[in-house]
Amino acid sequence: MVEADHTDALNPATLARIRQMRDLYPSPRSAVLPALWAIQDELAYLPAWSLEVVATELGLLAGDVEAVSSFYSMYFNHQPGRHQIQVCRNVSCGLRGSDELLRHLENWLGVEDGGTTTDGAFTLEGTVECLGACGGAPMMQVDRFSYENLNPERAEEVLTKIRNSEPRDLD
Amino acid sequence: MDDEKVLTRHLGAPGLTTVGGYEKVGGYQGLRKAIQMGPEAIVAEVKASGLRGRGGAAFPTGTKWGFLPKDVFPRYLCVNADESEPGCFKDRVLMEEFPHQLLEGVLIAAYALQVTHAFIYIRGEYRFQRELLERAAKEAYRAGYAGKGVLGTKWDCELIVHGGAGAYICGEETALLNSLEGRRGQPRLKPPFPAVKGLYGQPTVVNNVETLSNLPYIVTEGGARYAALGTEASPGTRLFCVSGHVERPGTFEVPMGKTTFRDLLELAGGVWRGRQFKAMQPGGGSMQVLGPQHLDVPLDFKAVAEAGSSLGAGALVVMDDSTCLVDVASRLVDFYRHESCGKCVPCREGTYFESELMHRLEAGIASRAELAELSDICANMEGRCFCPLGDTATWFVMSALRMFPEEFESHCGAGRCPVRAGSEVAA
Amino acid sequence: MADASTVAELVNISVDGRPVEVPPGTLVWDACEKAGIFVPVYCAHKKLEPVAVCRMCLVEVEGLPKLQPACATRVAPGMVVRTQTEQVRKFRDGNLEFLLLNHPLDCPVCDRGGECDLQDFTQRYGPGRARSSITEKVHFDKAVKLSDKIMLDQERCILCWRCVRYYEEITGEREIVLQERGVHTVVDSFERQPLQSQFQGNLPEICPVGALTHRQYRFRARPWDLRRTASVCSHCSYGCNIFVDAREEQIARYASNDNPEVDDSWLCDQGRYGFPELNRPERVINPEARVGGLRQAVSYQDAVARAAGALLRVRGDHGGTSVGVLGSPRMTNEEAFVLQWLAREVIATPHVDHRYEPLEGISPEQFRLGIAELEGCDAVVVIGDRPERLSPVLTLRLYKVANKLGRQILRVPETFSAAQVVKQLPAAGRIGIVAAQADRAAAMGLRAKAGSAGREAAVLTITEAVNSRGCQDLGLLPNVGPGYRSLEHSGLFGRQLLEAAVAGQIKALLVVGDGADFEAEGLFHEALAKVDVAVVVTAWQGVASRAATVLLPGRTIAEKAGTVTNTEGRVQRVRTAVEPKFTFPSDLRILGDLAAGLGSDLGVQALAAPVFELLAAAVPAYRGCQAGLRAHWEPGS
Repeated sequence: MVEADHTDALNPATLARIRQMRDLYPSPRSAVLPALWAIQDELAYLPAWSLEVVATELGLLAGDVEAVSSFYSMYFNHQPGRHQIQVCRNVSCGLRGSDELLRHLENWLGVEDGGTTTDGAFTLEGTVECLGACGGAPMMQVDRFSYENLNPERAEEVLTKIRNSEPRDLD
Repeated sequence: MDDEKVLTRHLGAPGLTTVGGYEKVGGYQGLRKAIQMGPEAIVAEVKASGLRGRGGAAFPTGTKWGFLPKDVFPRYLCVNADESEPGCFKDRVLMEEFPHQLLEGVLIAAYALQVTHAFIYIRGEYRFQRELLERAAKEAYRAGYAGKGVLGTKWDCELIVHGGAGAYICGEETALLNSLEGRRGQPRLKPPFPAVKGLYGQPTVVNNVETLSNLPYIVTEGGARYAALGTEASPGTRLFCVSGHVERPGTFEVPMGKTTFRDLLELAGGVWRGRQFKAMQPGGGSMQVLGPQHLDVPLDFKAVAEAGSSLGAGALVVMDDSTCLVDVASRLVDFYRHESCGKCVPCREGTYFESELMHRLEAGIASRAELAELSDICANMEGRCFCPLGDTATWFVMSALRMFPEEFESHCGAGRCPVRAGSEVAA
Repeated sequence: MADASTVAELVNISVDGRPVEVPPGTLVWDACEKAGIFVPVYCAHKKLEPVAVCRMCLVEVEGLPKLQPACATRVAPGMVVRTQTEQVRKFRDGNLEFLLLNHPLDCPVCDRGGECDLQDFTQRYGPGRARSSITEKVHFDKAVKLSDKIMLDQERCILCWRCVRYYEEITGEREIVLQERGVHTVVDSFERQPLQSQFQGNLPEICPVGALTHRQYRFRARPWDLRRTASVCSHCSYGCNIFVDAREEQIARYASNDNPEVDDSWLCDQGRYGFPELNRPERVINPEARVGGLRQAVSYQDAVARAAGALLRVRGDHGGTSVGVLGSPRMTNEEAFVLQWLAREVIATPHVDHRYEPLEGISPEQFRLGIAELEGCDAVVVIGDRPERLSPVLTLRLYKVANKLGRQILRVPETFSAAQVVKQLPAAGRIGIVAAQADRAAAMGLRAKAGSAGREAAVLTITEAVNSRGCQDLGLLPNVGPGYRSLEHSGLFGRQLLEAAVAGQIKALLVVGDGADFEAEGLFHEALAKVDVAVVVTAWQGVASRAATVLLPGRTIAEKAGTVTNTEGRVQRVRTAVEPKFTFPSDLRILGDLAAGLGSDLGVQALAAPVFELLAAAVPAYRGCQAGLRAHWEPGS
């Protein structure tokens, strides 16, 4: 079977990172998760061809990689928004108003749980694990940072700031 | 409380997230001492400390180390930083505030176990904390605490920070190993146990972040001193995460055995908004609910077990009198349904069944027959699943149903949640 | 083979009060079976490692608080197992309720209906009612074409992982994997890429429900309308044991019939899906004879009399050596033995063969090594890719030897330096050498070289057709007699014989069997046109049937009873799975009747069992082997 070579579709730095990970572990297969992270960091999601790249680099079959990537909830198989909002709704956050927070954000952003805003800025997720910030409930995580002790107004402020700090295209 | 602290003793010292700052408060002296003591003496000290695993199962750490077969190499150390138990955020604090204390603990354990690779498996959601640890690890390498020839000895130790990608089940140690091997994070059949056949089929120890963060103190101050901070049955101190309906949620280090739930509640400022205490869930999302009658139970493994719950991973979620237990249970069951790995039938299908029924119950559209069905489903899950996730998906529901039967029954056929409807009127 | 070091003290346990004695390390599930107690399972499979995911087999073990999976728990001395308690009963009921929660209600159109473990266990242990108000099911894809052979229904899947583990443990191809998680978990191929494996047909067979089905069998039959017959696959010489499932005298499907010594329960797709060949309608259904230059239907007795008369006439005019006899490697041992007897003893011609190309220098040493004995080898040398192309299931055995048992497999090209190969072998231990029969000289050369280098080596050559080995063993060859006895005068090999016919030296041909080895050869056509007499016994219309001066309807391998010998010399029974559309006697009877017409008596009834006794008297290696044993050839030569 002739397979298309997609390695040149990735940034050389990403490919280098994957190879560095492969050599770091006692078994190359251990680099699957780090490799998928490296690709998602570059492309924001994992297109099917990228799973084949990981498979090739680590000596696996593409199916092996898909079995893994689809298991974990943080890998996307489609293009998400530029920023990912995770609203924790587990017990501690639930007790302190996370449902109301999510409902407010759904209305304010005009998307449902799991959806992406029309401008592509945000993907809103309200079905996530406990995000480990129960002391600051209710909270949301935007990309890698936690925003705690939120109320609807404060959440709006945070997101407005993030949206405004994005570089804009010149009309 | 001004009891002696272990994990948070350096709180407030400047620059703790850097090697230099940590060294200023005596950091990495434990590792130096450990290397002089040698592996056997370290293990003996850990045994003397009575330290028990802080991830939830509370297995004595020294004993766990002792299960490694002699003379089988390579062997591996994995640090379980997959903290994801609902209500727990103590490992996050330890990693954010005291990353080098954790790394020192990891290196002490690695030396005691004579491993050359230590892996820190950190949950995917803790991306910021992962990068923080990666930076700290790099510093430790540069300072000669990790890498080739640690502190001039012949011992090499690689520290690898490995990020997960969103799967609660990876907190289960064999699922963690699978994930670390680049597989689906599903638990493995036991036996063989990880101590015999773990990562890459080699002897492996998996320890929790908090467990290992205690080691620098135990090595420098001695196991006996550590043990004496708590009681004989529950030695040492422990971090508790108090959240929910309290005035000042947070993480508190308290001596084991000598502290009660009421003490913890007071540390967190008491029930918020002047409301009444209704219930609490110690240990984390998996554990059974306790009521007001249990507030004076000490934080002792046995006493809490006798009360019908567990200290689990060191959480305390407090619920005031406006709380609907059915709603809380439904929320937790949704979480388990989302996090079931799908491996075994009773967990995969049972959590689905359970959550669908809970939705109906919370909405007030379930019948009394369905409430009986709920108990029956839980009975068909508990103790029948491949790993503890499926068991724990039933514990809160079943204990809440036992402790607050009227609350569950009042939902049946009510057309809406009677508890929350009532509190809306009151507000 | 159990040598002294592996024999350990047996462990005594009790299952539902019945004592049972098993070797240490036995799974409770197997111990229950030995005690005669059935424990339901979905994920467990005899050929796969335990995973304990379906939980169906949970049983009580005294002293343990939780129910234990019988499929993954190993026995301990004095263990007390209970499988019929209230606790177990209640859980089985509950577990089936879980499984049915998201299972579609499409049993009426499911090919698995009637032989589905979900149906069967639900009837036996299940709830018998749907009590829940939760009727919304999680939906997945249905009727997914995984390949031209396999259909996948993800909704019917109960996630036992057998297919995934099969691909991981048995073939190593990993074409089906688990995707997603929790209640959304499915099995699928990467991006729905079509499966490439040549062993896909095993998937529906290990699937306990209707999630993986054969496209060939889709909507074709209900299992209760099928008649099942144990037989042997006729695709190649490997001799995989099968069940032939027939409906209205047509083969509907093949299923595997586990023989750990041969197939280890796996079939290849060429074999499994190849049976439509036997259902073809182009059959010879009436005896015919050329009467006054014109072919016409005649009675059976008339046809036999005409055939015998014609052969006698040619023998009388030109001598026995003017008659050529051709058989087929797809005839049974009984037919092959009688045919060579008919040629040599009755017609008195040495010109008898069952194949087109000459075959020389054969001996039982070339199949001394048994298929299952490959597992006892410390290293296996495979010469070229022909062995696995001829017998695909061999690939799975070699994978097991390499992957599960961790032995060395050394694949070498068809031309190789024996000295170089020997250098790559382990310093001691038993060496297996596998080669196509065409490469027997190279294989025997390597064996000799390995022997002189101090290794114990044995050879397994792979022959071509289902009974090539039997035809050779029983002397349906011009150069060796039954049991590889040397002959005073050799006859002509198949091709030479046809050349002699074209040259006018052979005046009559007796052709028995499907003639598949000859039908494609122009020379066969020419020879048949040239000879005065062509007596043909065949199932199929073709060159031979059209040219026959006397034509008798033969049977396909699915229509006859007897034995065939596989490539390692194992004598196995084929049984009548379907009846032909005519009622004329069997091929074996036809040969007996022809002999009678030629004035000779077989001495026994022309039935498989008595004829086997006859051939076993002539070839002692076959004595007592008719029920699946390997012929025991004396070492030597």
